[in-house]
Amino acid sequence: MPIDASHVGRTYPPAPPHTVTRDEIDAFARALGAEPTEEAPLTFAMKLAAPAWASLFADAELGLALERTVHADQTFDVVRPIHAGDVATSALTIDKVRSRGNQDFVTVVVDVAVDGQTAVVSTSTFLCTREAQ
Amino acid sequence: MTELVEGQLIGPMEVDVDRAMIAAYAAASGDHNPIHVDDAAAQALGLPGVIAHGMWTMGAALRVVDQVLPGARITRAFTRFGRPLVLPAEGPTRLRVVGTVTSVDDDGATLALEANAFVGESDERIAKLEVRVG
Repeated sequence: MPIDASHVGRTYPPAPPHTVTRDEIDAFARALGAEPTEEAPLTFAMKLAAPAWASLFADAELGLALERTVHADQTFDVVRPIHAGDVATSALTIDKVRSRGNQDFVTVVVDVAVDGQTAVVSTSTFLCTREAQ
Repeated sequence: MTELVEGQLIGPMEVDVDRAMIAAYAAASGDHNPIHVDDAAAQALGLPGVIAHGMWTMGAALRVVDQVLPGARITRAFTRFGRPLVLPAEGPTRLRVVGTVTSVDDDGATLALEANAFVGESDERIAKLEVRVG
Protein backbone atom coordinates (compact mmCIF):
# COMPACT_ATOMS: atom_id res chain seq x y z
CA MET A 1 0.00 0.00 0.00
CA PRO A 2 1.53 3.32 -1.01
CA ILE A 3 1.96 6.35 1.22
CA ASP A 4 -1.22 8.35 1.89
CA ALA A 5 -2.58 11.09 4.12
CA SER A 6 -2.97 8.65 7.01
CA HIS A 7 0.83 8.69 7.37
CA VAL A 8 0.91 12.42 8.14
CA GLY A 9 2.39 12.98 11.60
CA ARG A 10 4.49 9.83 11.52
CA THR A 11 7.89 10.46 13.12
CA TYR A 12 11.05 8.41 13.32
CA PRO A 13 13.71 8.18 16.03
CA PRO A 14 16.61 10.61 15.41
CA ALA A 15 19.46 9.37 13.25
CA PRO A 16 22.70 8.71 15.21
CA PRO A 17 24.71 11.87 16.11
CA HIS A 18 27.14 13.11 13.47
CA THR A 19 30.18 15.25 14.28
CA VAL A 20 30.72 17.88 11.58
CA THR A 21 34.31 18.13 10.35
CA ARG A 22 36.15 20.98 8.66
CA ASP A 23 37.05 18.62 5.79
CA GLU A 24 33.44 17.81 4.99
CA ILE A 25 32.45 21.49 5.08
CA ASP A 26 35.35 22.25 2.70
CA ALA A 27 34.39 19.42 0.30
CA PHE A 28 30.75 20.57 0.33
CA ALA A 29 31.67 24.22 -0.37
CA ARG A 30 34.02 23.24 -3.21
CA ALA A 31 31.31 21.07 -4.82
CA LEU A 32 29.18 24.26 -4.98
CA GLY A 33 32.07 26.11 -6.63
CA ALA A 34 32.58 28.19 -3.47
CA GLU A 35 35.67 28.93 -1.43
CA PRO A 36 35.60 27.03 1.87
CA THR A 37 34.63 29.14 4.87
CA GLU A 38 34.54 28.69 8.63
CA GLU A 39 30.75 28.49 8.60
CA ALA A 40 29.10 25.69 6.62
CA PRO A 41 27.03 26.78 3.58
CA LEU A 42 23.34 26.94 4.48
CA THR A 43 22.46 23.89 2.36
CA PHE A 44 25.04 21.80 4.26
CA ALA A 45 22.11 21.21 6.62
CA MET A 46 20.84 18.79 3.97
CA LYS A 47 23.86 16.55 4.52
CA LEU A 48 22.86 16.42 8.19
CA ALA A 49 19.21 15.80 7.26
CA ALA A 50 20.04 13.01 4.78
CA PRO A 51 20.45 10.29 7.47
CA ALA A 52 16.90 11.06 8.61
CA TRP A 53 15.60 10.45 5.09
CA ALA A 54 16.98 6.92 5.40
CA SER A 55 14.26 6.11 7.93
CA LEU A 56 11.63 7.34 5.47
CA PHE A 57 12.91 5.20 2.61
CA ALA A 58 13.43 2.24 4.94
CA ASP A 59 9.76 2.32 6.02
CA ALA A 60 8.43 -0.50 3.83
CA GLU A 61 4.83 0.48 4.49
CA LEU A 62 5.29 3.73 2.50
CA GLY A 63 6.63 2.13 -0.69
CA LEU A 64 9.05 5.03 -1.33
CA ALA A 65 12.48 4.75 -2.97
CA LEU A 66 15.23 7.33 -3.39
CA GLU A 67 15.67 6.54 -7.10
CA ARG A 68 11.97 7.31 -7.72
CA THR A 69 12.19 10.65 -5.88
CA VAL A 70 12.65 14.19 -7.25
CA HIS A 71 12.91 17.34 -5.16
CA ALA A 72 9.99 19.78 -5.73
CA ASP A 73 10.67 22.48 -3.14
CA GLN A 74 12.85 23.15 -0.14
CA THR A 75 12.84 25.55 2.81
CA PHE A 76 15.48 26.04 5.47
CA ASP A 77 14.70 28.00 8.61
CA VAL A 78 17.95 28.81 10.33
CA VAL A 79 18.27 29.32 14.06
CA ARG A 80 22.03 29.14 14.00
CA PRO A 81 24.59 28.21 11.33
CA ILE A 82 26.49 24.91 11.37
CA HIS A 83 30.22 24.87 12.20
CA ALA A 84 32.96 22.23 12.39
CA GLY A 85 32.80 20.41 15.69
CA ASP A 86 29.02 20.58 15.96
CA VAL A 87 27.46 17.29 17.00
CA ALA A 88 24.22 17.11 15.02
CA THR A 89 21.21 14.84 15.12
CA SER A 90 18.28 14.87 12.73
CA ALA A 91 14.73 13.64 13.16
CA LEU A 92 12.06 13.42 10.47
CA THR A 93 8.30 13.93 10.55
CA ILE A 94 5.93 13.37 7.62
CA ASP A 95 4.08 16.68 7.33
CA LYS A 96 1.89 16.41 4.24
CA VAL A 97 0.94 13.87 1.56
CA ARG A 98 -0.91 14.72 -1.65
CA SER A 99 -1.50 12.09 -4.31
CA ARG A 100 -2.00 12.60 -8.03
CA GLY A 101 -2.21 9.56 -10.30
CA ASN A 102 0.83 7.39 -9.74
CA GLN A 103 2.73 10.18 -8.01
CA ASP A 104 2.73 11.47 -4.44
CA PHE A 105 3.91 14.86 -3.21
CA VAL A 106 5.39 14.12 0.20
CA THR A 107 6.42 16.96 2.51
CA VAL A 108 8.80 16.07 5.33
CA VAL A 109 10.17 18.26 8.11
CA VAL A 110 13.62 17.43 9.47
CA ASP A 111 14.72 19.01 12.71
CA VAL A 112 18.51 19.33 12.67
CA ALA A 113 19.64 19.83 16.24
CA VAL A 114 23.04 20.61 17.73
CA ASP A 115 23.51 19.76 21.40
CA GLY A 116 19.80 19.07 21.63
CA GLN A 117 18.79 22.55 20.37
CA THR A 118 17.22 23.09 16.95
CA ALA A 119 19.80 24.67 14.62
CA VAL A 120 18.06 24.34 11.25
CA VAL A 121 14.59 23.16 10.25
CA SER A 122 14.58 21.64 6.78
CA THR A 123 11.21 21.31 5.03
CA SER A 124 11.32 19.33 1.79
CA THR A 125 8.61 18.43 -0.69
CA PHE A 126 9.49 15.39 -2.75
CA LEU A 127 7.70 14.17 -5.87
CA CYS A 128 7.64 10.41 -5.45
CA THR A 129 6.72 8.18 -8.37
CA ARG A 130 5.07 4.90 -7.37
CA GLU A 131 6.70 1.64 -8.27
CA ALA A 132 5.47 0.29 -11.62
CA GLN A 133 2.91 -2.47 -11.08
CA MET B 1 20.64 46.26 6.36
CA THR B 2 21.21 49.81 5.11
CA GLU B 3 23.25 48.61 2.15
CA LEU B 4 20.18 47.18 0.39
CA VAL B 5 17.32 49.15 -1.17
CA GLU B 6 14.02 47.91 -2.46
CA GLY B 7 14.16 47.12 -6.16
CA GLN B 8 17.94 46.78 -6.16
CA LEU B 9 19.19 44.24 -8.68
CA ILE B 10 21.17 41.25 -7.38
CA GLY B 11 23.74 39.55 -9.60
CA PRO B 12 24.04 38.24 -12.18
CA MET B 13 26.32 35.50 -10.94
CA GLU B 14 27.36 32.58 -13.11
CA VAL B 15 28.51 29.10 -12.10
CA ASP B 16 29.58 26.36 -14.50
CA VAL B 17 28.55 22.83 -13.56
CA ASP B 18 29.39 19.48 -15.12
CA ARG B 19 28.91 15.82 -14.27
CA ALA B 20 32.18 15.63 -12.32
CA MET B 21 31.08 18.49 -10.07
CA ILE B 22 27.73 16.80 -9.43
CA ALA B 23 29.47 13.50 -8.62
CA ALA B 24 31.60 15.46 -6.13
CA TYR B 25 28.43 17.03 -4.71
CA ALA B 26 26.82 13.58 -4.32
CA ALA B 27 29.85 12.42 -2.32
CA ALA B 28 30.05 15.62 -0.25
CA SER B 29 26.32 15.79 0.51
CA GLY B 30 25.59 12.11 1.04
CA ASP B 31 22.73 12.32 -1.47
CA HIS B 32 23.39 9.24 -3.57
CA ASN B 33 20.20 9.24 -5.62
CA PRO B 34 21.37 7.51 -8.83
CA ILE B 35 19.41 9.91 -11.08
CA HIS B 36 22.28 12.39 -10.52
CA VAL B 37 25.05 10.11 -11.75
CA ASP B 38 23.50 7.35 -13.88
CA ASP B 39 21.71 8.07 -17.18
CA ALA B 40 19.72 4.80 -17.03
CA ALA B 41 18.33 5.68 -13.58
CA ALA B 42 17.39 9.18 -14.78
CA GLN B 43 15.74 7.81 -17.93
CA ALA B 44 13.70 5.34 -15.83
CA LEU B 45 12.03 8.45 -14.32
CA GLY B 46 11.40 9.96 -17.76
CA LEU B 47 14.33 12.38 -17.66
CA PRO B 48 16.58 12.72 -20.74
CA GLY B 49 19.71 11.99 -18.67
CA VAL B 50 21.38 12.75 -15.37
CA ILE B 51 20.28 15.94 -13.63
CA ALA B 52 21.97 18.11 -11.02
CA HIS B 53 20.65 17.79 -7.47
CA GLY B 54 18.07 20.48 -6.75
CA MET B 55 20.04 21.04 -3.58
CA TRP B 56 23.17 21.71 -5.62
CA THR B 57 21.31 24.40 -7.56
CA MET B 58 19.96 25.93 -4.34
CA GLY B 59 23.39 25.92 -2.70
CA ALA B 60 25.11 27.37 -5.75
CA ALA B 61 22.42 30.05 -6.23
CA LEU B 62 22.67 31.16 -2.60
CA ARG B 63 26.33 32.03 -3.18
CA VAL B 64 25.11 35.23 -4.81
CA VAL B 65 24.02 36.40 -1.34
CA ASP B 66 27.61 36.05 -0.08
CA GLN B 67 28.79 38.06 -3.07
CA VAL B 68 26.33 40.91 -2.54
CA LEU B 69 26.29 40.85 1.26
CA PRO B 70 29.46 39.23 2.57
CA GLY B 71 28.86 37.91 6.06
CA ALA B 72 25.07 38.31 5.85
CA ARG B 73 23.07 35.86 7.89
CA ILE B 74 20.43 33.97 5.89
CA THR B 75 17.58 33.21 8.27
CA ARG B 76 15.23 31.57 5.78
CA ALA B 77 15.58 30.30 2.25
CA PHE B 78 12.84 28.81 0.09
CA THR B 79 13.38 27.24 -3.31
CA ARG B 80 10.83 25.97 -5.80
CA PHE B 81 12.46 23.76 -8.39
CA GLY B 82 11.37 24.24 -12.01
CA ARG B 83 12.90 22.45 -14.96
CA PRO B 84 15.55 19.90 -14.07
CA LEU B 85 19.14 20.93 -14.80
CA VAL B 86 20.01 18.18 -17.30
CA LEU B 87 23.76 17.66 -17.64
CA PRO B 88 25.25 16.70 -21.01
CA ALA B 89 27.78 13.84 -21.03
CA GLU B 90 30.57 16.26 -21.90
CA GLY B 91 31.26 19.83 -20.96
CA PRO B 92 29.82 22.34 -18.54
CA THR B 93 26.37 23.92 -18.28
CA ARG B 94 26.22 27.51 -17.10
CA LEU B 95 23.84 28.41 -14.28
CA ARG B 96 23.00 32.11 -14.15
CA VAL B 97 21.56 33.63 -10.98
CA VAL B 98 19.79 37.00 -10.93
CA GLY B 99 17.39 38.66 -8.55
CA THR B 100 16.01 41.73 -6.85
CA VAL B 101 15.55 43.04 -3.33
CA THR B 102 11.79 42.80 -2.80
CA SER B 103 11.58 44.43 0.65
CA VAL B 104 13.74 46.01 3.32
CA ASP B 105 12.69 46.51 6.92
CA ASP B 106 14.23 47.04 10.36
CA ASP B 107 15.06 43.36 10.77
CA GLY B 108 16.55 42.64 7.36
CA ALA B 109 15.58 42.21 3.76
CA THR B 110 13.86 39.76 1.43
CA LEU B 111 15.37 38.82 -1.91
CA ALA B 112 13.78 37.09 -4.90
CA LEU B 113 16.25 35.11 -7.00
CA GLU B 114 16.05 33.06 -10.19
CA ALA B 115 18.49 30.43 -11.39
CA ASN B 116 18.42 29.83 -15.13
CA ALA B 117 20.46 27.59 -17.38
CA PHE B 118 20.85 27.18 -21.10
CA VAL B 119 19.60 23.61 -21.51
CA GLY B 120 19.22 22.01 -24.89
CA GLU B 121 18.29 24.93 -27.13
CA SER B 122 16.68 27.37 -24.73
CA ASP B 123 17.11 29.22 -21.47
CA GLU B 124 15.26 27.27 -18.79
CA ARG B 125 14.13 28.36 -15.33
CA ILE B 126 15.76 25.84 -13.01
CA ALA B 127 14.74 27.32 -9.67
CA LYS B 128 13.09 30.30 -8.00
CA LEU B 129 14.23 31.30 -4.56
CA GLU B 130 13.00 33.58 -1.81
CA VAL B 131 15.67 34.46 0.70
CA ARG B 132 15.40 36.31 3.98
CA VAL B 133 18.56 37.94 5.29
CA GLY B 134 18.85 39.67 8.63
